[in-house]
Amino acid sequence: MMLSRLPFAWQCIVLGASLLIIAWISLFSWSAVQITPMDALHALFNMDNTSVPQHIVQDLRLPRTLIGILVGASLAAAGVVMQGLTQNPLAAPSVLGVNAGAALGMAAVSTIAPWFGLLGTSVAAIIGGGMTWTLVMVLGSAWKSGNDSSRLVLAGVAISALCAALTKASIIMAEDQASGVLTWLAGSLANARWNTFDHLWPISLFSLLGCMALSPTLNILQLGEENARNLGASLILTKLAGSFLVLLLVASAISSVGSIGFVGLLVPHMAKMLCGQDHRRFLPLSMLLGAMLVVLSDIISRSIIFPMETPAGAVLALIGAPFFIYLVRKRTL
Amino acid sequence: MSLSTHNVCVGYHGKTIVNQVSLTIPEGKMIALLGPNGCGKSTLLKAMARILTPIKGEVHWCGKNLHQMPSKGLAKQLALLPQTQPIPEGIKVKDLIAYGRSPYTGFWGRLTKDDHTIIDKVMQETGVTALAEQLVSELSGGQRQRVWLAMTLAQDTPYLLLDEPTTYMDLNHQVELMHLLRQLNLSGKTIVTVLHDINQAARYCDHLIVMKQGQINTQGTPEAVLTKDMLRTVFDLNAQIHRDPIANTPMCIVEDK
Amino acid sequence: MNRFIPFFIISVLLISLVVANLLFGAVSLSLHDVFRGFQPGSDSYFTIHEYRLPRTLLAILVGAMLALAGALVQGVIRNPLASPDILGVSHGAGLAAVVYMIYFPHSSISWLPAVALVGGLCAALILWWLCGHRSSTIKLAITGVALATFYASTVDFLMLIKPLEINNALLWLTGSLWGRSWPQITMLLPWLVLIPCALYLAKSLNLIHLGEDTAISLGAKVNSLRLIALAIAVALTAAAVSICGPIGFLGLVAPHLARKLFGGRHQALLPATMLVGAVLLLMADLVARTIDPPIELPAGIMTAVLGAPYFLWLLIRTK
Repeated sequence: MMLSRLPFAWQCIVLGASLLIIAWISLFSWSAVQITPMDALHALFNMDNTSVPQHIVQDLRLPRTLIGILVGASLAAAGVVMQGLTQNPLAAPSVLGVNAGAALGMAAVSTIAPWFGLLGTSVAAIIGGGMTWTLVMVLGSAWKSGNDSSRLVLAGVAISALCAALTKASIIMAEDQASGVLTWLAGSLANARWNTFDHLWPISLFSLLGCMALSPTLNILQLGEENARNLGASLILTKLAGSFLVLLLVASAISSVGSIGFVGLLVPHMAKMLCGQDHRRFLPLSMLLGAMLVVLSDIISRSIIFPMETPAGAVLALIGAPFFIYLVRKRTL
Repeated sequence: MSLSTHNVCVGYHGKTIVNQVSLTIPEGKMIALLGPNGCGKSTLLKAMARILTPIKGEVHWCGKNLHQMPSKGLAKQLALLPQTQPIPEGIKVKDLIAYGRSPYTGFWGRLTKDDHTIIDKVMQETGVTALAEQLVSELSGGQRQRVWLAMTLAQDTPYLLLDEPTTYMDLNHQVELMHLLRQLNLSGKTIVTVLHDINQAARYCDHLIVMKQGQINTQGTPEAVLTKDMLRTVFDLNAQIHRDPIANTPMCIVEDK
Repeated sequence: MNRFIPFFIISVLLISLVVANLLFGAVSLSLHDVFRGFQPGSDSYFTIHEYRLPRTLLAILVGAMLALAGALVQGVIRNPLASPDILGVSHGAGLAAVVYMIYFPHSSISWLPAVALVGGLCAALILWWLCGHRSSTIKLAITGVALATFYASTVDFLMLIKPLEINNALLWLTGSLWGRSWPQITMLLPWLVLIPCALYLAKSLNLIHLGEDTAISLGAKVNSLRLIALAIAVALTAAAVSICGPIGFLGLVAPHLARKLFGGRHQALLPATMLVGAVLLLMADLVARTIDPPIELPAGIMTAVLGAPYFLWLLIRTK
């Protein structure tokens, strides 16, 4: 790849520019009402209040794209941190059951106690995801021998299956409140509006910056836990802070757009191919790539059966699952 | 009844380990296969037990190609005790030993009275009668080895092939096992065993086959085989040969380097 | 003699579950109603004869088939984590069936088991190709799980882009016994031939249990046995999946429970596994129907709630 030979700063610039272009395309492409590329730009910088396409761009498309960017960056960063903390290349929010746990938390709250509203579901997502993450980590630390990283994944898969079954059960049993939950489960950006964005960006920004602050420590963790301790890193503090950030990132992403899987698994590996093992570099690249990936799959999800929409999460799963198989195979187990 | 190999080459994944070996197993004897690690003694044993198919050459049983004979018929002639065994879950000792009768039983594995008699006999011989109702997975390593030996004996074959049977045993169990094998041999079985303890082989076996780098270096009685020269060329050891004060068989004492 | 006590207990359990399945549901019936329900013309005839009885029978058959498939797979590859659903065979069969239903909506539904069989076989071959002959327990399981994820997400994707055909497929996919009746039972009947075939392998499976070398030395034809047993397992799974959709974890849990109760001799284990599988699915379906009537949960949800923790426990134990 040409891109991997460029200096880091140029990589950032190239990826950032591509992200902007993709975001711009997503503002006008595949709309039921014709939107020209210029409409999209006018809506951003020079709003004409009488133009319907420009209103669509500003009220529907812009929040959707922005949320896509934030969610993509969040999930990718969560993947990087999880892979760093567990030293396991297969770790990712969707693989280790955090997505399913958060979805279960949300489903439980919105079917049992729907009056809590958006804040309630976000908190429930954090709690649900936190519980599965803790469970997976506790099980994971029970295995100290060579193969434990694959066991961690299998444990995550089993916990995911359990949570998914319980989620389905609570949806079926509370049919009247279920429609909202179903969209979350599918993982779609179709219902992303400005008020969601208002809730999302402070948390996302805080946690993304937090991850950046954690990245030097993640570098040291790569040397193995004992060496990291020798070098003066506080393992417990790092793990707690990292887990907390992961939960914030995943829960805020999932409670805004639903369970989008495989971003956290795919993107860190792509970023590592570009710039190597240094977390201080591939974490920001991962965020850019993750944002691109989600916005891109949102565009694809609109185009497949236009004018109807396919949830972006389904598109991503279709790309991501073969990649998962590839990673499993590549590792010498 | 005879077991012989004719120019066999055996190996794994296309890599030859045993190279052009022609060998006739002397009938009615107790035979030890000796040699340094990686010399191909276990591989040769596996080829004789039809676990491995030779790349070249043939293994003959009664003058016919062993690897083209019906497997179930051969199972009444040749039994193998592999070096390592899995630990089957939920199987009682008695059940496991009864599996040794499977070449003789029908499709459902129902045991006849004769089968039961043989099972009881081999359990007594190997001293595992008291363990009959225990689960195999709950036994200690030495007990488990004896149970597996009992299973192989229940197969009731004239030829018995063993791959390092004493490896995981305490010394007292090793001695018991070698005595048992000797008795079985005296009662008419031909026994071929891979051993790594040269003195043990010299003491209990009548015929030693020494392998080096996939080929047979020398074979014969312990007196003929166990020499200073052989130990130097095959094992790269300087050693003295003395008489075992009890059995009066040759034994080697290693000198300092 | 000892083995007959658990057999007796599990048979009693099976019979009482059958009775419970006939008694309870959206409307609870009395025993008297149930008996009268077998005669045409009575009030409860429709409920019993057209609805609860076939469903109960189906639960027994499907439970037994899935459990037997699991026992065969575990027996052949000596891997405690293996079962057709963990290895992706169920979801492969499911994918094939969904593709068939979406793209050939007018063809006969009775082809479904055969289509599912092709899908299941392909899934098994792909796994074999990816993992090779001798791979570790964990690697096989994790590759299977990854493949299952892929099939499942393909199914999701197909269903989302073809929303018009969704009803038919969705109903079928949930791993549920809802709405199944006599036609499905007749579809399943020819596949029951596989059960005696599987039982015929019992003795050889015992030998495989002892390790490959010992099995060969005892006269078993290990390679052909492996192929036959796996093919039977795939066919059993595919037939069951083509009726009820993928019902997870049943094929994993039932053989383990049966091994705990009846020991590892396959002559006892295989029939016992079928009994345990039938009991588990009857139980799951009963709970799923009666937990919050008239709403019904798919039985597959209940088996996952039961099976996933068990899988975790096995995972911890596997060395």
